[in-house]
Amino acid sequence: MTENAIEFRALSQAFGNFQAVKALTFDVAEREIFGFLGHNGAGKTTTIHMLTTLARPSSGTALISGHDIVTDPLGVRREIGYVPENVRLYDTLTTWENLVFFARLSGLSDAEDRVSQALEFLTITDLRDRRVGEFSKGMRQRVGLAQAILHHPKVLFLDEPSSGLDPMGMKMLRDLIVRLNDEWNMTIFMNTHLISEIAKTCTSIGVLSHGQLVYHDTIEAVTQRFGDDRSLEELYLSVAPALETEEAA
Amino acid sequence: MLSTTTPVGAIARKDVTDVLRDRFIIIVMAFLAVAAMTSLVTGAIALATDVATYNDAKATLLALGKSLDSIAAPEFYPLKLLRGAIEQIEIIGAVLGILAGFRAAVSERGRQTLALIMTRPIRQWQFLAGKFVAGAVVLSVGLLAVFGLAAILLDFVSGVGLGASDLLRMAIVWVAASLYVIAFFAFTFVATLWMRRPANALLVSFAVWLLLVLIAPQIGDTLDPDNQVAGGVFKQLHVPKAEQQRIASGYATFETIRNGIEVSSITKHFERFSFAVLGIKDTYTGKPLGPILVEKRGDFLWIFFTTLGLTGVMFTRRLKSNRLTKE
Amino acid sequence: MPASISGDGARVIARQSLLFIFRERTVALLAGLFVILVLISAYLGWSATSTVNAIYADAVVYLKGVGQPVPPNPVNDISPLSLMRNMSIYVSLIGALSAIVIGYQLIAADRKSGVVPLLGSRPFERATYAHGKIRALVMAVAGLMLVAAVIAVATFIILPTNPLGAVGWISLFTFFGLAFVYMLMFGLLAMATAAWARSESVGLLLPVTVWLTVTFILPSLTSNIHPTAAINPISALAPPPDTGFFHWTGWLFGPISIAESFKYLSAGLLDYLPATAINHSMVPPLPDLLLALTGSAVLAVRALMTMDMTRGDYNA
Repeated sequence: MTENAIEFRALSQAFGNFQAVKALTFDVAEREIFGFLGHNGAGKTTTIHMLTTLARPSSGTALISGHDIVTDPLGVRREIGYVPENVRLYDTLTTWENLVFFARLSGLSDAEDRVSQALEFLTITDLRDRRVGEFSKGMRQRVGLAQAILHHPKVLFLDEPSSGLDPMGMKMLRDLIVRLNDEWNMTIFMNTHLISEIAKTCTSIGVLSHGQLVYHDTIEAVTQRFGDDRSLEELYLSVAPALETEEAA
Repeated sequence: MLSTTTPVGAIARKDVTDVLRDRFIIIVMAFLAVAAMTSLVTGAIALATDVATYNDAKATLLALGKSLDSIAAPEFYPLKLLRGAIEQIEIIGAVLGILAGFRAAVSERGRQTLALIMTRPIRQWQFLAGKFVAGAVVLSVGLLAVFGLAAILLDFVSGVGLGASDLLRMAIVWVAASLYVIAFFAFTFVATLWMRRPANALLVSFAVWLLLVLIAPQIGDTLDPDNQVAGGVFKQLHVPKAEQQRIASGYATFETIRNGIEVSSITKHFERFSFAVLGIKDTYTGKPLGPILVEKRGDFLWIFFTTLGLTGVMFTRRLKSNRLTKE
Repeated sequence: MPASISGDGARVIARQSLLFIFRERTVALLAGLFVILVLISAYLGWSATSTVNAIYADAVVYLKGVGQPVPPNPVNDISPLSLMRNMSIYVSLIGALSAIVIGYQLIAADRKSGVVPLLGSRPFERATYAHGKIRALVMAVAGLMLVAAVIAVATFIILPTNPLGAVGWISLFTFFGLAFVYMLMFGLLAMATAAWARSESVGLLLPVTVWLTVTFILPSLTSNIHPTAAINPISALAPPPDTGFFHWTGWLFGPISIAESFKYLSAGLLDYLPATAINHSMVPPLPDLLLALTGSAVLAVRALMTMDMTRGDYNA
């Protein structure tokens, strides 16, 4: 029986009177690649901030590999890796120095070995001794991914991972995500507003609209239900029709 | 020594490397050093002028066969030459603390690395402690370099050399100066992490700096009636000392307010403490160190507890997730 | 009619910029602090003078009692204008800093909000942009000076013991003109660095560094050798030691020691220039200040005319 990697329990976030995330309750199974789809300002980043313990929910909670994000944030942090949108590292430090630093903060005693391993996995050993300040967006994204997988987390959170990448970079990123899921048994939770990205990598999907979960199912189910290439887009438009702009949280 | 395998040690070490590579804080430190040394050198040249004037007068008197009683030999205490350097630390040292604190916070916020750190299994206090240790180490080592440079320069200009007691006094003032600068570091660091816009935190810190470092002492200084009349009001009125004290006692409340404004400023405490320990203020020149330290312990404790308090404040509030980015 | 479009454009930019910057809390904070300190300086001048008066009254009783001659009241030797002498200190400290923040924000606000490319693609000349921004700066600094002047005038009207003659009033207003020039100079410099700098902190810290240098470091080479003398209007003008070294540094560094030029001229205008004060500079104080103003104006215009309108925002 597969266990759940993430269990949402009425997870909510309010900023003053504005309800950014409304009582999310659903599960993401282990080894799933979950695509969290939604328009800009739907509450995706707010949700990821809560799941990664960066922000405290205003009510409700969630469990990550059995650890409660409210009562056991340190337990959660041992199990997760996180790549924010537009990840930037310490410009003045080299790739190696950056990664060893984050490995130590993850409590790894064999920091150097883990960094070498991650560099090899991502095929960026050639960037090892260069300063991060001189990197292109795509290179930075890969070092950002490296810092998130050093400690072999059970769940990896990616916030709009392909934002600003060229087609080549996007392809490379998709392959890496699939390999991490396949070879390192990671559960992936990925925020995105790109339908194509989900279609090519994810095993299940959730659609968030104005802070509410309006759809949640496996990709197979979606394909069966709609049955053609444009299925995801049609699904999205049918469940989340509201196109009016909303202030980002 | 902190091990770099502990979270606090790892963060501190990373920050020190970052500061050294970035060079910005090093440039500000060099600026402080240049300012302090400029003041020291001009002070030394001014003293050399006094000595030359005295020697001329002495030669004239001796040539005339008169006694030397009528002119006072300029006394030479090398540590007195540190006055300008101490004043530069009061002003520019505080700016150094502010810029270091701002940089320490903004370097995490602007790059989103704060989010990467806070999703690691470490506690918030460990992150803050790591940043604080790095700031404190960098600032105190920088000030050590300034004092070291001053000692070498003093040794050179004084000709007589510095004794162990002189070096001890400088070391004590170095400790006080480090605490003083770290207080500004802690304040700006906290403000920059907490406030919505980092640039505003920097300007608020500069406003506090203006008030504490320049305005409060300025008001205290201006309200001193003796500063209103060239050469001092009592001197001009030819009133004897005892009578001066009687008249002055009639303005005790005025004096209390004036002193109150002055002592609300940490800068004034640093100045009073270091001027006494180094013998810059005439009443303390040449006095033994022990009694001075006993008398001035209040000033030292004020600096110490301000720094401690600000450091404590740093740990009281949870970082907000919407402060994780630049704006 | 391109000319009128350009004039209108500049007015629109100036108006919008002024509205924007005074909503900025930091600008409001520093401007407010400046006004409060101007009030305090008026109070301080009055309070210190009346304390000396009271001490004199006490001393007269004592001196008469012991049959000693009574010297004249030292307050009478002080010109009523010198009541405002602290104003020169506050202009050189917080006034200059406020001007730096205003000048910086006028440009940085556009750059940070990302509207620079939008402005750059509108049908007006780059000169119009520069014109509008400088106009906004002039108006903001003039506004601050006006508040200070009103407070000063009110103080003299309220205190009947310190009447000013016609010459006194002229000197007072000339002083405010001078203070305006001094502050404007820093504002223009900050505008130039805000437009040129690639990083936000450099844009702000460069003019602050210049200000620290001219206020606290250069005077120790050209006048009072103690840096904290910069906070006292009288001791700031104490002459440097009378030696070849200081004559030489005074002559050489005098032209860039503009804080001292400003204080020297202020002291003359507000009637508290100590008899011992001397200026060794190779350039006399007034031409020196005007040169500095011209220099920073040229820098500001050049920076605004050559500013990169394609990207705008600073590197982190």
